[in-house]
Amino acid sequence: MASSVRAKLLLAATTLALLLVPAAYGGNGGFVPVTPESPNAHDIRASYFFITFFTLGVFVLVETLLVVFIFRFRRRRRPRFQDGPTLHGATRLELLWTALPVAILFLIATFIFIELPGISHVPSAGATGRAYQIKVTGRQFYWQFEYPNGVISIDSMRAPAEVPVKLTVVSPDTDVIHSWWIPALGGKIDAIPGIVNTTWFEAKPGFYSGQCAELCGLEHARMLASVEVMPKSEFTAWLSQRRAQQSAGTSDLGDEEWGGVCAKCHGLAGEGGIAVRIAGSAILSDPRALAKIVRNGTSTPRGTMPAVGSGWTDDQVSALTTYLKEHPPSGS
Amino acid sequence: MAARAETPVPGWQRGRVASWFVTTDHKRIGILYVSTSLVFFALGGLMALAMRTQLAQANAGVLSPQHYNELVTIHGTTMIFLVLVPILAGFANFLVPLMIGARDVAFPRLNALSYWLYLLGGLVLMLSFFAKGGAAQAGWTSYPPLSEQTPGHGQDLWILSLHILTASSVAGAINFIVTIHNLRAPGMTWTRMPLFVWSIEVFAWMLLAVLPTLSAGLTLLLLDRGISIGGWHIQTHFFNAAKGGAPLLWQHAFWFFGHPEVYIMVLPAFGIISEVLPVFARKPIFGYKAVAFSTVGIGFISMLVWAHHMFTVGFPNALNSFFMITSMAVAVPTGVKVFNWLATLWRGNLHFDTPMLYALGFLSVFVVGGLTGIYLAAFPVDWQVHDSYFVVAHFHYTLFGGVVFAIFAGLFYWWPKMFGRLLDERLGKWQFWILFVSFNVTFFPQHLLGLEGMPRRVYTYSHESWEGYNMTSTIGSYVMGIALLLFLWNVVRTTRRGPRVGNDPWQADTLEWYTTSPPPPHNFDSVPYVTSARPLHDLRQRLREANGTRRIS
Ligand SMILES: [Cu+2]
Repeated sequence: MASSVRAKLLLAATTLALLLVPAAYGGNGGFVPVTPESPNAHDIRASYFFITFFTLGVFVLVETLLVVFIFRFRRRRRPRFQDGPTLHGATRLELLWTALPVAILFLIATFIFIELPGISHVPSAGATGRAYQIKVTGRQFYWQFEYPNGVISIDSMRAPAEVPVKLTVVSPDTDVIHSWWIPALGGKIDAIPGIVNTTWFEAKPGFYSGQCAELCGLEHARMLASVEVMPKSEFTAWLSQRRAQQSAGTSDLGDEEWGGVCAKCHGLAGEGGIAVRIAGSAILSDPRALAKIVRNGTSTPRGTMPAVGSGWTDDQVSALTTYLKEHPPSGS
Repeated sequence: MAARAETPVPGWQRGRVASWFVTTDHKRIGILYVSTSLVFFALGGLMALAMRTQLAQANAGVLSPQHYNELVTIHGTTMIFLVLVPILAGFANFLVPLMIGARDVAFPRLNALSYWLYLLGGLVLMLSFFAKGGAAQAGWTSYPPLSEQTPGHGQDLWILSLHILTASSVAGAINFIVTIHNLRAPGMTWTRMPLFVWSIEVFAWMLLAVLPTLSAGLTLLLLDRGISIGGWHIQTHFFNAAKGGAPLLWQHAFWFFGHPEVYIMVLPAFGIISEVLPVFARKPIFGYKAVAFSTVGIGFISMLVWAHHMFTVGFPNALNSFFMITSMAVAVPTGVKVFNWLATLWRGNLHFDTPMLYALGFLSVFVVGGLTGIYLAAFPVDWQVHDSYFVVAHFHYTLFGGVVFAIFAGLFYWWPKMFGRLLDERLGKWQFWILFVSFNVTFFPQHLLGLEGMPRRVYTYSHESWEGYNMTSTIGSYVMGIALLLFLWNVVRTTRRGPRVGNDPWQADTLEWYTTSPPPPHNFDSVPYVTSARPLHDLRQRLREANGTRRIS
């Protein structure tokens, strides 16, 4: 008997080792949420640690009792069907292990309520000024960012450092549900047709990435987002420069639209992907036809294209047509 | 019960195959349920392996995005609606009448209807892969507007399948409730009822309480997608924001059903554990009443927690706080069960046959799934981990590590009662250890992926730093496949060659072990008067006293 018990112990140890190996080569390991770079993400991680303190304790308690009981009360040489003592219960013990979880959960809930304001309330001002607002629109399968001065960018957001950035997160009525999530900058918030949600972050200069967290269709996995936080003066300079370029039709918007809106389905060179090959298509060089298909979508026997650009301004459409005129997709 | 006049069975119904088609015997229907669910289990498992293959490496092209989304949807729907709920219903079918000393369920023909509806619903779901546009692709939760915009008929067939399965479950639930309330053996008061029967009582009431909400939601979804009858076309806009509808309405309807559904699967699993542990520890369950009432408590509270699946939709914090507290409250009765099970082991005479290994494995793994649930209940933390692989890991720890382990405990434990032969213990133990290790290798790393930012339901990813965990998980899943093949091999091998057993090979406590293995069509020639929750233990005690060989325990 003892040898089989030893074999089982060995197996348990192997399991543990097998669990720790991937942990070791995963770097930070993923045992805690990604390093927070914004106060809300920081407080979420603090809550995570607080909960982990108790869950680890309960885990160790239960598993230890289990293993100890398995060893201590195994059959050994007793007859197989010999009964153990007839213990039907013990009210005081049972009250104890009802009260214990209640106490732990009470502590956890209290901690959450203490941390909550720091996580969900958008501060009105930060280290270097008043809160800054950006509108985030989740669409199949791209993120559109609108800045107060009308600048638009796709998939990559830029934001000022050390200022609370308040995000208004929406999805058009005709689209589906998406979820905005940049792990280092806080929790996720859904973009739901018909609902206006908000979230915020305040970060040091850096590059933070994330992706859509609510299944939104075929290219959900490619609906990535990045936030580049830059010193406030640099950001202001970029924003006004981009404003001027956008009016002149020389901004990167067309490039971003091609990569973020068209290429996820049609391929970066227009070679086709989950949607048809469009390299060489006459529509690409016909601004009117292109505007029509982007704004209204189309339904042909070859497939259906959603109205990916419904609601786009003329600026947005012409950015794409100009870009495609200058950079016709090569097809390979 | 008064003897019923038996109508003679027509000859064509007596054939070896035909008799299974026309049977109304709860034991045969139970076996049909269990075996059908095992077939769907294999299919759902193959879908999972295909997905794990795609995810083993970054930017892989094994599956197209559409195929991945179909598999993710049908895998989830299959495992919940076609495997876990029906296999537990199968156990309930086989066991409840035997455990309460009844001849059959209250409505045997309704019972047969439940099974055949279940099979039909399952076939509709599986065949939907061949529909125009492929199977449903919006996840097992099928959130609109996405589920309303998918072209083709996969989503419509998904709705049809769930409607059929809902009808099947409602009929089954009514049957269980009426059976348990009316057909218990003389002396079997509510507090002398086996704990598995308690869990089925709560299981059935919960199904009745929440399935209508799902049906209503499904009907609205179907109408929103539009139906044509003759020249008429009906198209509503319940969930369509563009026409004044509310996408969140579906989420409320779905999760008001969906969260209790988790406990609909978990409670009977708890019931199995509460039957197996005492028998292999040679002790009565510790705190019978606490375990029974915590089942009722969990069932009740689980209907008040649904919006914890919706913490990221932008509710006011007051509402989030309410659902956080109710969700945490579920942990209390669950904790009571875990500690009562541990106390059942205390000072026992433990022997480690396969059912016991699975029950102990269940205990050690389910705790992890329970504890990670606390992170999800604490809504600011949920904002970080929601819809990530952390959640995928969490619910596989509860549903595979929890429910499936309990199901294997139950299969190895009651197999001799069902078929009169034991499953092979050596193979069973190998299967347990391989499954226990590979299960953890598969699902533990997924917690870490989630914390590193990997969302669920993505057909691929480009972060190479996620490859290590994903590859580990995929390798684990293949080994899980091997462990499950071992079970199949075990079944095949022992069907003819397994050792035959008597009425009560485990020296168990409950009435099903009083009759022969397998039991005769009428179950019992006589049923002893029940004087406690352990009628067979009492019987053995009385026999020993009568023989003057009473042992002091
Ligand atoms: Cu999305």
